[in-house]
Order: sequence, then structure tokens, then C-alpha cells
Amino acid sequence: MIDFLAKKVLTIDLNKKEADLKSFADLNKYLGGVALGIKLHEMYSDLNPVVLAIGPLNGFFPFASKTAVVLNDGGVIEDIYIGGSLSLRMRFAGVDAIAIFGRSDQPTVLDICNAKVDFLGEETGTDSLGLPGKRSAINFENNKILLDDYFTTPESFLEKIFTEKNIKGVVITGTEIDKPLNFDEYEKLYNEILSKKDELRVDMGIYPSCSNCPMGCGKSKIGEIGGNVLINSLVACQFADKIYTDIGVVFSCLNTLGYSYTHEDIENLPKLIEETIRRIS
Amino acid sequence: MAKILKPTQTDKCNGCELCLLESQRQLKKVGLEEALIRIFKKKRDDNQKLEMQIEIDPRINMLHVEKISKICPKDVFEVENHEEIEGKNEE
Repeated sequence: MIDFLAKKVLTIDLNKKEADLKSFADLNKYLGGVALGIKLHEMYSDLNPVVLAIGPLNGFFPFASKTAVVLNDGGVIEDIYIGGSLSLRMRFAGVDAIAIFGRSDQPTVLDICNAKVDFLGEETGTDSLGLPGKRSAINFENNKILLDDYFTTPESFLEKIFTEKNIKGVVITGTEIDKPLNFDEYEKLYNEILSKKDELRVDMGIYPSCSNCPMGCGKSKIGEIGGNVLINSLVACQFADKIYTDIGVVFSCLNTLGYSYTHEDIENLPKLIEETIRRIS
Repeated sequence: MAKILKPTQTDKCNGCELCLLESQRQLKKVGLEEALIRIFKKKRDDNQKLEMQIEIDPRINMLHVEKISKICPKDVFEVENHEEIEGKNEE
């Protein structure tokens, strides 16, 4: 179930082969995605984390379909975005972010089911891990990371840090169920947003689609880098910016789910991110 | 008259899972657990697309299957009513 009062962070320590689900009430103002990812970098700066982070709408609303990957590349904090089914699986694994620390002494595959993490050897592979239909798998193929055998990220930041950390694959399975309190209102809003697909800056395509997005566009494969701070904190698709930069829509979504963010929280987000980046730079 | 949901054009499925999520919403829940539709994604040799497999629990037909069919952006499903199926069998 969503925790409206705190951000849930699954920390994974590759050195110790330990994992822990932590709840941070004081991180709620970071909303999600890039904002949460950068703050976790500040908190765990000594441990060189790679952070996967979603936003409050992922899993619940159409076009909120990306996952932010925040990492340190040679002293520069980079934020990149990957599509596919990952954000939906993370939502129903019950985590807002996964922060992976340290380096494994052996090539490792992480098998994550909700908050439970198994550290497996490379020989395991990812094909047999996770629950069919409820899992996302991240793999190396020809030195490129593929999510769900198809989706990638821009540049090679993720490949580089996974190699440094000796991570050969990650499988994430989500089995939690949520029931928004005002379900009828949620359903109505869901369908209203879905009907706005003509407002997207991509055309309907013939390619694999991100979960909760009907478009199957040609852009989803390569992921995203940079862009609007609110979109990147909600971790919606940049091509749905017309929808998710509409503050009225964003608040309707947040309120329907039960979050109590204020306009000030949203307005202060760019400043909060900027200040956090300044402190860790 | 019983309505039956059938995936007749699975090759067109783009894996968006809108059908799965719609069926879950009809059961007043959001998530993947105990979903009556499951989408399995399989790699194709050309790496340009994925091959989708759709598994449907027959209990889906107790839901509003036309709504599930309609939400699919690729028209993967057809809704047949029970009488039509019986008619086809007789032919």
C-alpha cells in the first residue's frame, strides 16, 4: 500500500549483501523521481549509490510510465529515464526508490520481490527469476543494458555504473495491491487522462509500449535525459508534458490517491533540487 | 447473454497492459496480483520488437469485457457472445 506520509526506500548494500526497506517521512517533500534520487545521493554520498526512483503517480495514471535513474558519473550527478514496465513493478513492489550501494565481490544478479532481495551468482541469469507477468528484468546484452529485452537508457551511464558495481542483472517483481480510497473518482480521472492521448507529442506507433501508455511510440526504446523538473519528479513521460505540467491535473491525481501535497510543495521543488545539487557538487 | 473476451490479434499487442489494469479496476483494485489477464513479453530475434503472449483467466468474462476490449489501443480483443459461439459450433 502507498505510504502517503513517507517515502519507502529499499537500500541494497552489495558489499555486505544486505537489504533493508527504510521509511523516510522527511523525504516526502522530494515528491519522487529526480528530486528523491538526488536527495538520496546526498544522504548516501559516501556509498556511491545508483538510485532508481519513481514518482507518486507511477502505476496509477496513464503516461506516468518512466523510472528515474540517478547516478554519479565521475563527479557529475546524471539523471536518465527508462520506460517499459519498471515503474509499475516498483510501485507494486511497494517502493518509491531503490538505492544500490557499494560493489559486489562476485558478478551478481539481484532478485527483488517487493522488499525481499536475493543476491545470486551470474550463472543464474534472469530468465528464471521473478513472477511471470509481474516482473521487470534488467540485463546486459552486447554491453548495453536492456529492460524487458527492449528498453534502454541514453548514453552509457547505467552500463558503466552497473559494471563498476559488478551487477549483471536485476529482476523486480511487484505483488502488492492498492485500493485508492475514492475509487470512483480515481477511475474517472484515469479515463479522462487516458482520453488525452492526442495531447502527447508522439504519434501512435507499432513498437512495444511502456506500461500504462497506449502509444507504442518509436521514442520509448531509447529513454530520456534531462527535461522538465516536475515531469522528472513525477517521472511521467516527457512527451506527456502538456498533461503533467498542468498543475490542476497533477493535484487532482495526487489528491485522488490521498496525498496531501500543497501548491507550495510543487512550486518549491525546483529550488529544493537546485539546493541539494549545490550541496553535493 | 454471456460475453466472452478473446485475444484474436495477439501479434498486434504492444504490451501496454491497459487491459490488465482495466480488469483490475473493475475489481476495485490497482496492481498486478491476481490479475485475470497477464501479459508475457518474449524477446524476438531482431530486438526491434517483443513478442507478447496474453493469458486470460476465464473468470474475466464475469467482468465488463467490452470495456476491457475497448481500452486496447491495438484492437487485440474481440468480444463474442455465447450464442454466437454456439452457432459457430453448430456450423
